[in-house]
Amino acid sequence: MKRLFRALIAAGSSRAVPPIVIGLFFLFYIGVAFFTDETLITLMAFTRRSFFLAALLALIPLNCALRIVRQTTLYLNVRRALHGKPVNSQSELFDEAVELPASTYDLPELEGRLAAVGYKTGRSGTALGAWRGISVFPARLLFLIGFFCLFTGILITTTTRTANRRMVIEGEPMPMPDGTGGTVERITLANASGLILARTLAIEVASSNSGYGKRTFGLYPPTLYMGSFVYPRYLGIALYFRFSAPDMPAGYETHCSLNCYPPGKEDNVAIPGSPYRIVFSTPVPEPGTERYRSYMTGDITLQFKVLKGKDVLFTGSAPAGGEFVRDGYRLALPDIRRLVITDFIGDYGVLFIWSAGLIFVAAGGIWLPIRAFFPRREMLLRFEADLITAYSRAEGRSRKHAGVFHEVLDLVDAKRDE
Amino acid sequence: MAIFFKLIPHIIVWFGVVVILLRGFSGRRSVVVVASGLGLLVGTVGVFALRSLPGLSPFIAIKSVLGVCFLLLWAVSVAASYRTADSGAAFPWGERFFSSSSGAGVVTVIVTLIAGGIAVCKFSGAETSALSFSLLALSAGSLAYFIAYAARFIEKRLPESFRVSQLGMVVSVIALLLFSSSSILRLDLFSPLSMKVMKGVHDFVHQFMESILIPDHLFIRPPIWKSIGFLFGKEVGFWGGLVIWFAPVLLIVLAINSVRLPSVAHIRQGAQRRKLLAGAIREQRLQLVMPLFSVVIFAAAAYQSSFPSVEYWDPKPLPVTANPAGEIVIPKKGDINLEDGKLHKYLFKQGEREARFFVLQTPDGKLTVDLDACAICKPDGYGQTEGSVICYYCKTLIPLETVGKPGGCNPVPIGFSVKGESVVIDAMTLINSWGATVQATARVKEGGK
Repeated sequence: MKRLFRALIAAGSSRAVPPIVIGLFFLFYIGVAFFTDETLITLMAFTRRSFFLAALLALIPLNCALRIVRQTTLYLNVRRALHGKPVNSQSELFDEAVELPASTYDLPELEGRLAAVGYKTGRSGTALGAWRGISVFPARLLFLIGFFCLFTGILITTTTRTANRRMVIEGEPMPMPDGTGGTVERITLANASGLILARTLAIEVASSNSGYGKRTFGLYPPTLYMGSFVYPRYLGIALYFRFSAPDMPAGYETHCSLNCYPPGKEDNVAIPGSPYRIVFSTPVPEPGTERYRSYMTGDITLQFKVLKGKDVLFTGSAPAGGEFVRDGYRLALPDIRRLVITDFIGDYGVLFIWSAGLIFVAAGGIWLPIRAFFPRREMLLRFEADLITAYSRAEGRSRKHAGVFHEVLDLVDAKRDE
Repeated sequence: MAIFFKLIPHIIVWFGVVVILLRGFSGRRSVVVVASGLGLLVGTVGVFALRSLPGLSPFIAIKSVLGVCFLLLWAVSVAASYRTADSGAAFPWGERFFSSSSGAGVVTVIVTLIAGGIAVCKFSGAETSALSFSLLALSAGSLAYFIAYAARFIEKRLPESFRVSQLGMVVSVIALLLFSSSSILRLDLFSPLSMKVMKGVHDFVHQFMESILIPDHLFIRPPIWKSIGFLFGKEVGFWGGLVIWFAPVLLIVLAINSVRLPSVAHIRQGAQRRKLLAGAIREQRLQLVMPLFSVVIFAAAAYQSSFPSVEYWDPKPLPVTANPAGEIVIPKKGDINLEDGKLHKYLFKQGEREARFFVLQTPDGKLTVDLDACAICKPDGYGQTEGSVICYYCKTLIPLETVGKPGGCNPVPIGFSVKGESVVIDAMTLINSWGATVQATARVKEGGK
């Protein structure tokens, strides 16, 4: 049982696991591509529904976790060995091991020689350890943690993500997927001077009955509210209008939401039980002026086109509170409000993916200078009765390190000849 | 005679493949000679026979086999890298198979069978008579064995230092097969790969941005959004395709280059140590010859695929107008015969709006009217070549049998009717269809080619 467990751990922590799993997913991707053009979305949907695919994907974070443990143990064992402490399977910790018959040795001379070429040394009993440079272990550890976070995030996102699209309207309660939040007090769109964002958006929400305090939701990073990330997508208009026609004297009035930004984009409302349809749009501003000025100021004028069947009856424009009357037709726009078409995303995997991004940056920042300028090089000499066992490993500049290692062995061997 | 000139590159590839196999299986030369002759003969005759059977197309089968070969190369390269990084790893079953006679025979037959099949696809048309079939079998058999023995003759005279490792053999043979196929549009892998990369990157970037909740373009600075938009272009497909195309061979180069030099720490004479290390380094460099040769072959294949020496039938769009009832009427016969199986392009203008479309009779005799654009790519239009139309933007080949069916990179079909001897198209439907499905994909004003 113990042997089986060890074999499973060894297989699970193998470096081959991520390429094999990614390769298998790539093959699935190719297979799916034969049947649909929406390949990635289809593969994600399969993974969400299939326990087998989700379990296969879960092998990668599991492998990362096991490798973190393995790498840490390995690193600690190397440190212990270099300080002369006994460790199991010592030769596996190093790149190279060699045994020399020797009865005499001059440790101070060896230490002096190693110090002369920039190595620090540590002596403990019958062992001499020498090292130079900085280990990339912290970067490797961070990289593995980043990889763990990335694939855990992908796994959580793929299998559990929920998305609900709602209209967030000024003056209305926040339409959360699980109940309602506080009232949306104000929506503010403004120009920004940032490097990435051209505009900022703020959705100010009053305290809710369910215990959430006053909050303001921006663009990035999206804020978590009542278990969902508030992810603003597009701008729009909430309109309340009244319409009457000669053949429809009773008229019709309704609230509707229009997806009519950027300016010029059309959205339409059909009058139920009649041949009438009204196409709304926001006017395109003069070139050189701010395109979203009307949304920013809240001073919104709507253009409209009233159609009866396929025939255009009339066109016109009116601001909030305005009215348009012609040939017995009447269109009034008593209330226009700003709205934001918002996705409420239930997905904690996002947090892992963001963390992974930051960790990868940190890992790269540590790895590059160490690998370029201070690669770790180590050697260990163990002196026993008439045998010297020498171990060596290098994370970079291995040829130069091998030269020093050989020179040290030559020195030991020369002593024996003397 | 023209056919013979067309076949010269393929014959050179045959020769190169057999030389490499002979040197790679240097202990099994006789097996390789017999098997390569047999493979070339069977591949040539078999694919020729398949082409002559109605309803069967060997193109898809050969292209699939080439795709599998490329995936195999990827697997081999990843395994080689893994083996280098983890010196404890070994694949003894693979090595045992490669060093056995049966392994040499099987590999040689498969490789030469594919090489023979590819060359036959260069022939246009599928008309076969018993005489032409017999002549082909006879000439292919003679040529195959002539090449096999000539390759053996040359290979014996190559220097001993020219060694072909198992890795080098796999990579160079697959490179030669892909080079050979890249000159045949329907077998080419690089252009479809680039297109798939373009679509894959597009999907991935879109999903990634949604996954990490990046705001939409209206909130992002235009230069930043343009940079993101660059990821959706065909340039990314091309460069991404190049990365996937070259990555396996470069991984193999890296794997060979990263093999740890033998331990010489037990040797106490510096000169002897240096000699051993120099020998190991020289050996390592010699092993790099075939992978580096393959890099050149892969580059040539990618070039040949990107700039094919194929002439497309691509007539200039003829302007058409709509009658007062809003119908575009095109006579089936007249100056242009719509039923000649060729692509006939038209341009319809209405005010400032315009739409480009074509009429084509498919091999099953049905007329189809389609936009000169698909719903995915920039509307660069289509050209016609043997048995298919090609999307100029992404270089996807669409078999003529599927033109008129919607989806993917197929031209967007337009409803029409046949009244008497004319094809009638609703102008409003046409112009709206162009506007709705095409202009969303256009990053620059369309113009076609």
